[in-house]
Amino acid sequence: MSDTDDVAARHGRYDRRELLRKGGVGALTVGLAGSTASKAFGFYGPLRFKGRWLKGDLTIIQWVHFVPAYDTWFDNTWCKQWGEKNDVQVKVDHILNTLLPARAAAEVAAGSGHDLFFQLAPLAQYEDQVIDHKEIVQEVQRKIGKIGALAHKSTYNPRTKKWFAFSDNYVPDPVIWRHDLWNGVGLAPNTWDNVRTAAPKLKAIGHPIGIGMSNELDSNMANIAFLMCFGAFIQNEHQQVTIKSKHTIEALKFMADIYQRGETSEIFGWTPSSNNDFIYAGKGSMILNAISATRTPEDRHLPFADDLWIYPIPKGPHGRYGLEHVMGVYSIWKFAKNKAAAKKFLSDLEINYRQAFLASKFYNFPTFPGALPFNQIQKYARADTHKPRGKYQILTTIAKKYTYNVGYPGFTNAAVSEVFATFLIPQMFAQVAQKKMTAADAASAADQQFKKVFAKWRKAGKI
Amino acid sequence: MSHVTLREKTLSYLIVGPFAIVLAFPFYWMVMMAFKKDADFYNVQNVPFKFNGGPTFANVRLLFHHTKYVNWLINTGEIGVVVVGITLALAVPAGYALARLSGRMGQSLGVGIFLTYLVPPTLLFLPFFALISRLHLQNSIWSLVLVYPSFTVPFSTWLLMGFFKTVPQELEDAARIDGASRLGTLIRVIFPISIPGILTVVIFSFSLVVNEFVYAFVFISSSAHRTVSTGVYTDLIRGDLPEWGAIMVAALIPSIPLALLYNAFLNRFIAGFTGGAFR
Repeated sequence: MSDTDDVAARHGRYDRRELLRKGGVGALTVGLAGSTASKAFGFYGPLRFKGRWLKGDLTIIQWVHFVPAYDTWFDNTWCKQWGEKNDVQVKVDHILNTLLPARAAAEVAAGSGHDLFFQLAPLAQYEDQVIDHKEIVQEVQRKIGKIGALAHKSTYNPRTKKWFAFSDNYVPDPVIWRHDLWNGVGLAPNTWDNVRTAAPKLKAIGHPIGIGMSNELDSNMANIAFLMCFGAFIQNEHQQVTIKSKHTIEALKFMADIYQRGETSEIFGWTPSSNNDFIYAGKGSMILNAISATRTPEDRHLPFADDLWIYPIPKGPHGRYGLEHVMGVYSIWKFAKNKAAAKKFLSDLEINYRQAFLASKFYNFPTFPGALPFNQIQKYARADTHKPRGKYQILTTIAKKYTYNVGYPGFTNAAVSEVFATFLIPQMFAQVAQKKMTAADAASAADQQFKKVFAKWRKAGKI
Repeated sequence: MSHVTLREKTLSYLIVGPFAIVLAFPFYWMVMMAFKKDADFYNVQNVPFKFNGGPTFANVRLLFHHTKYVNWLINTGEIGVVVVGITLALAVPAGYALARLSGRMGQSLGVGIFLTYLVPPTLLFLPFFALISRLHLQNSIWSLVLVYPSFTVPFSTWLLMGFFKTVPQELEDAARIDGASRLGTLIRVIFPISIPGILTVVIFSFSLVVNEFVYAFVFISSSAHRTVSTGVYTDLIRGDLPEWGAIMVAALIPSIPLALLYNAFLNRFIAGFTGGAFR
């Protein structure tokens, strides 16, 4: 019937013996080819997609870092090496920090965008649009120990039990002040009373105080921290609005006094870089800002660079309560195309955070203390040669003792994030400083606004 | 007589002079800043209107060697040329049709089209982003080529409609009597005398493309694909440190050809804009 002895060919299928024989030869061929493939393609660079579970591209969008050296390290060293090691093509886009919220809104609206989205403050309002980042937190905890309290309270929702973001870093927010100028008036900014006393004297010699009251990140951080130093908080630990209090009124009056005696009206139109420019121009005598405000004058050899000192936030009637200047958080959207690579990228980044810390010139602190313990940070800070010697050592004290999350004493929830993102706190301060409202009226108005926001998110089941 | 002429001239210069100074000042400022040294920016004791310590080319070097500025210029140019082409292809026939063919409806339709131009991009960028995403045009300059005509075409149509109305109907009738088709009339008679209007559309559309920010920022995320307007803002402001010198160089370079273009065709540009103003 047929002119061949091949049974398989005869019947269109293989019997068991034939299948095993051909399968074995096939497996051997594939195995040999696989084991020598890296050598075979050695001239053509690393193989694409050898780590199959991570195959594909990883797209990241993040800010243009305030310390340019960090971006250079992140793009050209870290991402490149990580990509080669994991056989993933990593693409990083940088945009200005003020443009990130609009970009996030656009990506969510389109249901399409980058695999990793970085923000400078927790995006709790996008909880439904992101994956649960628990797996990454657990993986990092397994390797280097427990997550820090700041990151825990900033990225975890106790109501829904969801990690709505992964924070790799935070940035302590010290006071940067001109020692030569303050010395001239015989004071130092270690208490808010001192700041108020020195403000008119400093303004009189042409060097006003620079605490913004504008719709921008630095004003937000400074104003909320100022409130906390007076015992006024956005919410309590049970996520109930507490802004309407005698402490808030006292703080608003106090800040209005500082403004009227020691600031100029430009602070109402500031952007995040304005307070830096204020210092760089040699005009400002004190700002609340991260250490980029001292690093730039050092790098550019500005004449007063050695006179820029760093202090913890001034002490108020309630104590010394600062916020982080930046809470660096990455989110993985539910629609991200390469979630596996995004997760591994984040855990690897945090586990190796020493490199990031050094590349950022002590700007980024790891959110997992085990990634780089404080005593080691202290050692690096002590070795920094900029004058006055050892000035960066105070950062560890600030980080350990005076840095709290936005929304303290509660968690950073969706309602707090919205209050933060819509700049209701700086607006409240500005109204009083500009004498458009009394402190009591401004606190009442804020209370009503906050309650609406909280009610909305409570109804949504997020708080 | 000569006294009168001299007085008139003096008066003209007295009126125009301050305006010219005010309008030229940004250029002067850009040039000064573009070639200033870093230390010069940050010393408040320095007089800001002159070079203190001499000029420098460091800002130019920073722009051309450490950013993708050349890419941004090329992208802006490419998008501009294609968008101007699309705008002319759609707005010229639409403007003519509204001026000539639609009768009384033309005016209402013209106003309706113009109104679409008034919808701000800040409202439209979210739905447009979704559309761009579905078309897989994210991070591509073609997304801008697709979207920009949405605001250049309505305005240009409205502008040309007014301009075409100033062209006497008798000219067209004469051409038609001489045997020209409607298309022939358009090409041989109407378009040549409508050059000021068309030129206005070209300059206006190109300027809009160069200046546009919101769409360019949202649709394009990688540095190499950016246009000048977003590239300068994103890549030359390093966190909280604007590279003032390089920013000024970046702004100066595209503004020079645009200024020359406006000046070269100033009279025609004015004629284009005011063409339909009295009808």
